[in-house]
Amino acid sequence: MDKLLRNKKAIVIFVAPAFLLFTFVLFIPICQSIYYSLCSYDALTKPEFIGLENYKQLLLNDKTMRIALKNSMFFMIFSCVSQLVIGLILAAFLTNIEKGRNFFKNVYYLPCVLSSAALGLLWMFIFSPKLGINQILAEWGIEGPLWLMDVSGFINLPMKVIAFVALWQYVGQSMMLYMAQISGIDKSLYEASYIDGATKPKAFLYVTLPLIRPMVGTAMSLNCIGSLKFFDLIFNMTEAGPNHQTEVLATHLYTQGFKYFKYGYASAIGVVLLILCLIATFIINKFVKVDPYEM
Amino acid sequence: MKKISAAKIAIYIFLIILAFIYLAPLVWMLFVSLKDNSEIFTSPFALPQQIQWENYTFAWTAGYLGKATLNSAIVCVVTLALSMVIGSMAAFAIARLRWKFAKLMMTYFMIGMMVPVHCVLIPLFKTFSGVGLYNNLLGLIIPYTTFSLPITIFIMTGFFENMPKELFEAACIDGCSIYKCFTSIAVPLSKTGLFVTGLMSFVANWNELLLAMVFISDDMKKTLPVSLSKFVGPYNTNYVQMFAAIIIAIVPTIVVYCCFSNQIVDGLTAGAVKG
Repeated sequence: MDKLLRNKKAIVIFVAPAFLLFTFVLFIPICQSIYYSLCSYDALTKPEFIGLENYKQLLLNDKTMRIALKNSMFFMIFSCVSQLVIGLILAAFLTNIEKGRNFFKNVYYLPCVLSSAALGLLWMFIFSPKLGINQILAEWGIEGPLWLMDVSGFINLPMKVIAFVALWQYVGQSMMLYMAQISGIDKSLYEASYIDGATKPKAFLYVTLPLIRPMVGTAMSLNCIGSLKFFDLIFNMTEAGPNHQTEVLATHLYTQGFKYFKYGYASAIGVVLLILCLIATFIINKFVKVDPYEM
Repeated sequence: MKKISAAKIAIYIFLIILAFIYLAPLVWMLFVSLKDNSEIFTSPFALPQQIQWENYTFAWTAGYLGKATLNSAIVCVVTLALSMVIGSMAAFAIARLRWKFAKLMMTYFMIGMMVPVHCVLIPLFKTFSGVGLYNNLLGLIIPYTTFSLPITIFIMTGFFENMPKELFEAACIDGCSIYKCFTSIAVPLSKTGLFVTGLMSFVANWNELLLAMVFISDDMKKTLPVSLSKFVGPYNTNYVQMFAAIIIAIVPTIVVYCCFSNQIVDGLTAGAVKG
């Protein structure tokens, strides 16, 4: 038996396809990307090593990058906090009702499985200047704002609209994760707390919340990485416009790499993105995540 | 007792309003897709005066949506099959076979969950256009498979680890080879796991936009999410046909979701519990 399980040939055959794919499609390209980011490289020339020039340009002189960083950070913090709060509230409500729980759960989760490219086009229509929401407002005699074009303010209106749409689309995911965790909690814990005189909100605060803390960490890191990667909705709702005001890291990378063909520069943005992802995961693992309790 | 029921009613009202916010845009989109283009401006919220099926036929033919649906289907099905086979093989080796680097290999695969696809985009694009995978559906299948692998391996490893050891021991005594153990015992017993991972990778790849946009420029090779954006122009946007196209694009996922919503939810939670 043991000999069979230590069969070297079998191990190689089983692991090799996945390992090779990973190495060639993920690992080597990441290394290449890091190298390209140190090069002056566009569609016509060969990569030429220039050290940290790209990063200098990117972090010190690039106004669009500053907007993109600001928007990405706003987006990440907003979606972490809002999804945590609303996801938890929804999960708490849904675990407390019996009738229609499955219906509501499935409705709230539905947008998560739909194409965000398609939903982006839908919301672009709903928030367009003369149609959608503004038509409803016009019927009540209110002149609606230019949802996706008004760019005043530190965090402009289009970014807030997009953040709302993203919350609409993805909050179901956080809700599901919390619900799964809450339904795993032993009922006797609640009974004990009710005997000790706890009300339902109190029980939620002192029994449920501490017990689902590990899942909060998981959901938050999923949110963080997801919002840093965020591309489809913005691309289809505003195309990062007007005047680059709704640019995020991913759209900036796409524009630089595949509209202006600045491969080296776009790679540097990619590396910044990767580093941000790693930092976010690290921080959450360090400060939010705890080992699951024995239940 | 009365107070509790009041709270319940408040909860239900809140949930119903929210459900309306979720469903209204989708239902409204369905209505608009059956309207005439001028009706959007005159009576946007009424039911369509006369049902315009032409919007769908126009989107299907002039927008090459028929071709795009086929391309999406090919890419998703092949990716699904490949990631299931390759992923469960690797998971079997990690969970069941005994070798020094199993843990390390698992970590290597799990890194893939954190890496955003954006930072491998440019090198992959260069390599793929060099070897003729640009404008080629295979050029989408390879990266999609790779990015579906981490979650597949993660879920399948869990399944294989939970199988009783005696099962494999008994098979070995009866003269079963390690390959036979995999194909006739491990895989058939973890059908649920395979099903869940398959659903998740199908949904994710059906909706993928960025890679498909970068790697495909030929209209006849485009997948659904990419060909949708063709209906939006800077000067004239043909809303009704765009909505018909969107409906065509999201109906397959809605059907899959309605049939298998519980399994999708299971997969999501299973994939994230330790993640």
